[in-house]
Amino acid sequence: MKLECKIEEIKSKILQVERITGKNLTLPVLNSILLISSGKSLKLRSTNLSLGIEVEIHAKIEKEGLVAISGSVLNGIFSNVFQNENVFLESIDGNLLIQTKRSKIKLKGQPYDDFPTIPRVSGTSFEIDSKKLIDGIKSVFYSSSVSDIKPEISSVFLYTNEDNLVFVSTDSFRLAEKKIKVKGIPEIGGILIPYKNIAEILRVFGDSPSVLKVCFNKNQISFSSDDVYLTSRMIDGVFPDYRQIIPKTSTTTATVLKQDLLNALKISNIFSDKFNQVNLKISPKEKVFELSSANNDVGENKTYLDAAITGEDIELGFNYKYFLDCFQSITTDSVSIKFSGSASPLVISSVSDSSFLYLIMPMNR
Amino acid sequence: MNTQQLWKNCLTEIEAGMSRANFSTWFKNTSIIKEEEGIIHIGVPNEFVRDWLINKYHKLITKTVADAYENMRAVEYMITKTEIVKQELTTIRENTSYINKELPLKDLYINPEDNLNPRYHFNSFIVGSFNELAYAASLAIIDNPGTKYNPFFIYGGTGLGKTHLIQAVGNTIKDRYPNKKVHYMTLEKFATDFINSLQSNKANSFKEKYRKYDLLIIDDIQFIGKMEKIQEELFHTFNTFHENNKQIIFSSDKHPNYIPELADRLKSRFAAGMIVDISPPEYESRLAILKVKLQELDINLDQEILEYVALAVDGNIRELEGNLNIIVCQYRLKNKPLTLIEVKNLLKNNMKPKKNMAIKDVVKIVSEYYKLEEVSIYEKTRKKEIVKARQVVMYLLREDFNVSYPLIGQKLGGKDHTTVIHSCLKIKNDLKNDPQLLQELEQIRIMFK
Repeated sequence: MKLECKIEEIKSKILQVERITGKNLTLPVLNSILLISSGKSLKLRSTNLSLGIEVEIHAKIEKEGLVAISGSVLNGIFSNVFQNENVFLESIDGNLLIQTKRSKIKLKGQPYDDFPTIPRVSGTSFEIDSKKLIDGIKSVFYSSSVSDIKPEISSVFLYTNEDNLVFVSTDSFRLAEKKIKVKGIPEIGGILIPYKNIAEILRVFGDSPSVLKVCFNKNQISFSSDDVYLTSRMIDGVFPDYRQIIPKTSTTTATVLKQDLLNALKISNIFSDKFNQVNLKISPKEKVFELSSANNDVGENKTYLDAAITGEDIELGFNYKYFLDCFQSITTDSVSIKFSGSASPLVISSVSDSSFLYLIMPMNR
Repeated sequence: MNTQQLWKNCLTEIEAGMSRANFSTWFKNTSIIKEEEGIIHIGVPNEFVRDWLINKYHKLITKTVADAYENMRAVEYMITKTEIVKQELTTIRENTSYINKELPLKDLYINPEDNLNPRYHFNSFIVGSFNELAYAASLAIIDNPGTKYNPFFIYGGTGLGKTHLIQAVGNTIKDRYPNKKVHYMTLEKFATDFINSLQSNKANSFKEKYRKYDLLIIDDIQFIGKMEKIQEELFHTFNTFHENNKQIIFSSDKHPNYIPELADRLKSRFAAGMIVDISPPEYESRLAILKVKLQELDINLDQEILEYVALAVDGNIRELEGNLNIIVCQYRLKNKPLTLIEVKNLLKNNMKPKKNMAIKDVVKIVSEYYKLEEVSIYEKTRKKEIVKARQVVMYLLREDFNVSYPLIGQKLGGKDHTTVIHSCLKIKNDLKNDPQLLQELEQIRIMFK
């Protein structure tokens, strides 16, 4: 192959693709990026056998061909090239020659015969604004379980409900649900995308707004924009029926300013024990909203917040980290917290926006 | 048809035709899900694998399966839930049982009536110059229990076969005179029994208990030193035995004269019978011991290995046996003869490092022993006590540490090497006639350790 393209473009794409190369896998060729020059573009392809990606770069092709080069090496080279000009790539006997005005680099290639193909997904498909998809995923994905023991909860769950595309994730201590209004989407019973792959999807599509074509079947899902094709394996499993645990009614409701709560929780952080427990005491009659935490080695603290409270007295403990996590998904200034007894989960949502819901299991020791 | 077996066979064939990396990437976690009317459904973990198998290996798979299963019409691929394939634990080889079978620990059971261990018998007792006196005395006792040598006192370093010998006497007497009551015990047992009887006010029954035996064997008597009351009790027990012409046997790691704080009356009573020592076996005896042990275990080892072990372990028979056990165990585990190198590696940790002492240290220890100033050894003086100490230093350096004559002379105040030779010869000769000197040398040697 022989071609010419812009450094800036190939640089950013290599960065995208390199993250998805397989590491620690038995097949060495997986840690390389396959460069395919055909037609009017250069394609970069990489996969770790759970995710696969192919990006397209505009290039002036002189000769078609293939070459496989170690991803980390390519990334190392291009992240240190700062000239903004054109680069010439040429493959010679399976090796790659990179030429700019000021440098000439020869890289050892790997046999590309063993480089896997990336599955083209056929099945149900729809189009969605990448911003909406990213927003949905971003609002919930941090709640996924990190451990691989239960794959169905170490993933983000997607399904449709009327006009909404619903994103859910949980690690069984807390749960986040985000509804995004979309139109013209076929009914989706439930898709489970592995947590590890979600992070890459966010990275790849996070900062380039475009219309994504999503296509999925029982085992595989793909997202494609103009120049990127990304496909991920899906988890074959059943997401827990989480709607059952969302309390239908509440006995106590409190509304506080997000920033107040955030500051109070950050102070509690200093005093929390190894279980990260913070105790909350609400008494509507006395208009008390009190957060307290104590640590044998440090001391203890109590913070009183201004809050609009209705309902019964309540006292419970929870892990403040779970609380802090959800603030990234709440965009409004005030937060509403609903309680229904000290043994059932807290329900957190933003006051004016019903699209986001967050549940924390109380921790009473 | 067993699809599992079929797929296993196919995989073996497929594996042969590709690199390990490829095989484990693409064929791990695959299986045959089902077979329907000649269509084989192969389960794969994900779409990547399915794609790749279809694109790259479909021909190979189809051919392999067709070869193994003639009714096959087509191969299809399905994505299945990945199940973590449980690794079969590598089954530990079944031969553990037979390794245990003949290890000597097995027959270490003890007859509760007389406390004797039947393993200790004269059959397995090896007689060499180091223990022939003790052996002969034991035989005499067996022929005339209670009269010939009473008490019989046997002493020697640890692991030289004292316990073996006295238990063998007990076992033989038991066999030969079935109506004689034999009892073996360690001094520690004797002491606890005595204390218990004092506690429960049954001092009389204690006396009765022991006095009913015809042969009493007490092992490790050297610990009696500080136990005054027990010395007294032992004294009485001893008297009773002696008066009634009943045999009593003691073992100790020291000569009675060197047991600290031993009452004189006991000392003289021990001396009244027969006191013999067992010295460490010399090389030939060690070799013989190894051979007998191997015969018991029914194992053959190379002569050169035996020679190495006999040479490497000096003195202590117990260590000799321990090392042999290590070799035997390894031999059975591997089920093939060991080479000398392997044996050396096996035993390298059990060997005592070779003593390595500076000449200065030897001089220091000897001068300390004779309560002399260290420098006086190096001085040119002919004071009698200093000359003796100097000669002992030379002798020890030569005999124990193999230092050359000229070097010894040079280091000890510039003496001629012939002076050194003379000194060594002198000590050597003196040793023959002077047990006192022998004793001194032994004690100095202990200080080296």
